[in-house]
Amino acid sequence: MCRHTRLYDRAARAGRVAMLTVLVATPLAGCADKGDASAQANAGPRDFLVVMNRPNKLNLVDLKQRKVVNSCDLPGDYGPGTVAMSPDKRTAYVLTNRFENIYGVDVDTCEIRFSARQSQGDERVKSIGSIAVSPDGKEVYTHQNPTRLLIDRYEVQDARVAVFDTSAGLEARPVRTFPAPRQITIMAVGKDGTLYMGGRDIYAMNMQTGATTVALASQSRNDPLESLRDSLTVWPVGDINDEMVRMYSAAQYKDASQDLASADWVWGFERVDLATGAVETKVFGPLEVVLFSGMARPSDPNQFYGVLTQLKKFDVAAQKELNSVDLEHSYYCINFSTDGSEVYLAGTFNDIAVYDADTLKKLGNIALQGGDMALANSRVFSRAL
Amino acid sequence: MLNIGRLARVSALLALLGTGQAFAATDTPATSSPQEIIAASCSGCHARDGEGRWFRISDQRKTPEGWQMTLVRMQITHKAQFIDPAGGDGDAALRTLVKYFADTQGLAPQERAPYSFILEQELNTIEEHDSEQFRSMCARCHTGARVLLQRRTEDEWRNLVHFHLGQFPTAEYQMMGRDRDWLGEALRDVVPDLAKKYPLQTDAWTQWQAAPKPALAGRWRVLGYMPGRGDFSGVMVTGAQDGDRYTVVFNGQFADGEALSGSGSAIVYTGYEWRGTLKIGDESYRQVMAASADGAELTGRMFQRDHDEWGLRMRAVRETPRSELLAVQPGFIAAGGESLLTLVGINLDGAADLGPGLKVLEEVSRSAGQILLRVAADDTAAVGVRAIRVGKSDLPDAITVYKGMDRLQVEPAFAVGRVGGDGGSQPVVQAIFDAIAWSNGADGEAGTQDDLRIGRVAANWSVAPWNEQATADQDVRFAGQMDKDDGVFTPAGAGPNPERKYQTNNAGNLKVIASVDRDGQTIQGDGHLIVTVQRWNNPPIR
Repeated sequence: MCRHTRLYDRAARAGRVAMLTVLVATPLAGCADKGDASAQANAGPRDFLVVMNRPNKLNLVDLKQRKVVNSCDLPGDYGPGTVAMSPDKRTAYVLTNRFENIYGVDVDTCEIRFSARQSQGDERVKSIGSIAVSPDGKEVYTHQNPTRLLIDRYEVQDARVAVFDTSAGLEARPVRTFPAPRQITIMAVGKDGTLYMGGRDIYAMNMQTGATTVALASQSRNDPLESLRDSLTVWPVGDINDEMVRMYSAAQYKDASQDLASADWVWGFERVDLATGAVETKVFGPLEVVLFSGMARPSDPNQFYGVLTQLKKFDVAAQKELNSVDLEHSYYCINFSTDGSEVYLAGTFNDIAVYDADTLKKLGNIALQGGDMALANSRVFSRAL
Repeated sequence: MLNIGRLARVSALLALLGTGQAFAATDTPATSSPQEIIAASCSGCHARDGEGRWFRISDQRKTPEGWQMTLVRMQITHKAQFIDPAGGDGDAALRTLVKYFADTQGLAPQERAPYSFILEQELNTIEEHDSEQFRSMCARCHTGARVLLQRRTEDEWRNLVHFHLGQFPTAEYQMMGRDRDWLGEALRDVVPDLAKKYPLQTDAWTQWQAAPKPALAGRWRVLGYMPGRGDFSGVMVTGAQDGDRYTVVFNGQFADGEALSGSGSAIVYTGYEWRGTLKIGDESYRQVMAASADGAELTGRMFQRDHDEWGLRMRAVRETPRSELLAVQPGFIAAGGESLLTLVGINLDGAADLGPGLKVLEEVSRSAGQILLRVAADDTAAVGVRAIRVGKSDLPDAITVYKGMDRLQVEPAFAVGRVGGDGGSQPVVQAIFDAIAWSNGADGEAGTQDDLRIGRVAANWSVAPWNEQATADQDVRFAGQMDKDDGVFTPAGAGPNPERKYQTNNAGNLKVIASVDRDGQTIQGDGHLIVTVQRWNNPPIR
């Protein structure tokens, strides 16, 4: 566990959200650390979790056994470690190597089937946690922040979405690019192939034409009774609910005078139903502590959970906290078992904490080999071995 | 985008080339001319126009530290090699360029003066900015001073924005970045504003370039004050060498007699930017001072290289044949009380006149630079700040006569300490407090015009939780130790603490309390201390 790599410090405790600043990477060469997934006897569908950690490992966790069953060492440096799964749940597409490279990794064999260096020539490209896979698994999308490194100066280029063909092999180049808004982090793809992007608003992009609309107005809401919303997330979660979800914080004013002193500070969520494209925004509770990620319980959309130094459970309809437990250390990224019975906390250090979703009682820890997960997100899915 | 391994290397290089080695006067300069070194080292990327101006390089002005940071960044990030075509050492070539650029593209004294604190490493300074936009766009990641110690053409300010987002792509994602069109705002609003307020060409710079530059060799009477230690006086002797370099011999002592003496060297940039490197006992010290235009004074700070929180705010006054009273230490006396006062000056000659109600009981010692007096103040001595005269030299506002010590003020009111050590690369950063006594004046009310600032007094020190959260998190237990006699807080070790809730760092939010017992009454003052995590990147301008 690396003591110098924490994003969150006590500034967050004092009510300020720690910023996306510390991203640490250590050089690594190497390849597959073949695990014992094939040795598992039980062939029925079961829950797995994938998550990355330092130095640049992709882990496959059997959640029933609470055990890492495969761990793949990837080339290059770490960060951010954002992962998205192929529809068949066999290939993990990860964003790593200082926010620049994409790898498509067979989670069972560690074979790298796809890779793309987004930086090319004099253009350096960084993607801040934004990676998604098309519903048919044929394309992978990233949001790119390019900068031209000219001989005596840098020139920031317009942001764009890049489309890669997942069958393009190990030196893949984008097959299409579309102009995109800046400041995008998480992305998800709807059943109809629409790409949703979380930025100052949540945008929807037609992946054939590149036409982009505001799917959910967040900062552009212009509600006289609400302050500008703030949403900090690099953790795409919610796919087991077939949704893209992110939390926001805002002040709700008593009246149009917008007096902050009498305003209520609240947590809310913004979500896109990936099956229908319907959007929803709701306040789920008072803003009392900083939370980094949150999502609804798969078995009950009225129960919303959030995490950082506490694991909290809210009744959405009542906008009320139902339960809260202090954690052993901060965890950035929340997830659930597909049946909603267990909560998995990842990010920050190198262990995944398991909690009972009903009682918030701790059930165990799953230790990862290697270092911190830092900004990595987890993905949970159910499949046969 | 930060990377710790890389940062460690950067920090090491910055430290190597920091205010120490790059500024050491004993280091010989390169043999080749600056223009030859620029042509050999920079022209691979920077082209020259028909007028001999180098693209980008010629369109900026900054402090010696600013140029040093730029050149070191070229070395680290862009693999620039500083080459002396005559075959000299690369570090010498780099030092020659820092000197050349600071001399020819520096800041005028009045352009630098408002932001001296950052060069002097006064890191508990809280900046105030007129513009909320400037604060959130620029001064949320580094000091505003870092920006305002630069002058650029509009194109260069624009290039700086592109550099920022290219080098630190998350700048537009962070708080106060993601709430706006950061890049649009930077290019549309901030660039023209900076170009207007901080242009490359200014009258101040043109005039300073034309002005004669003072020679700074001589003998200097030094007056100072070190938070945590108190008043200081001494003598500094400087000897001229080639290339605006000086030898430095520094001798002095604190009011309690403890010596602070050593020697070293200094170099002067831009005609007034004095940068010294001294060895005092086992410690390395830096001097960052500015010379007055007439060369009569140097003012600034001398601080420990490895613990820059410890530093002497100092003023060095050139000794001339004139008699001059410069300071009285301590600068206060109680009406009805008795004190030992040290009168510090140059060529002090004649009787000391302390004004009505203050009587010299004994002249304990006398030299040309210092008179030690035992003084009694009448009960009826006029309360207030008064002048003192020695012979023909008057010192206005020399001493405060007070009646009753009514309250304490903790200085600084807000300080930051940092956890460190414990196997990590960064040392603990201490927080150093002084208790300043005040009298409420004749009206007996605090906060009114007749209040008198008395001065630094000994106090008992303690810390308490700043708020309920600090109580709940046991910050007093974990964050570190306050020395009860000295007012020096030493933060605890770095890294997650398994004994703490959430295994969090030994951070803390503390109230610092100074108390003094006077005639059975306790007077108390408090300040605010944040103990926080390490800084990993500590360039000369933060």
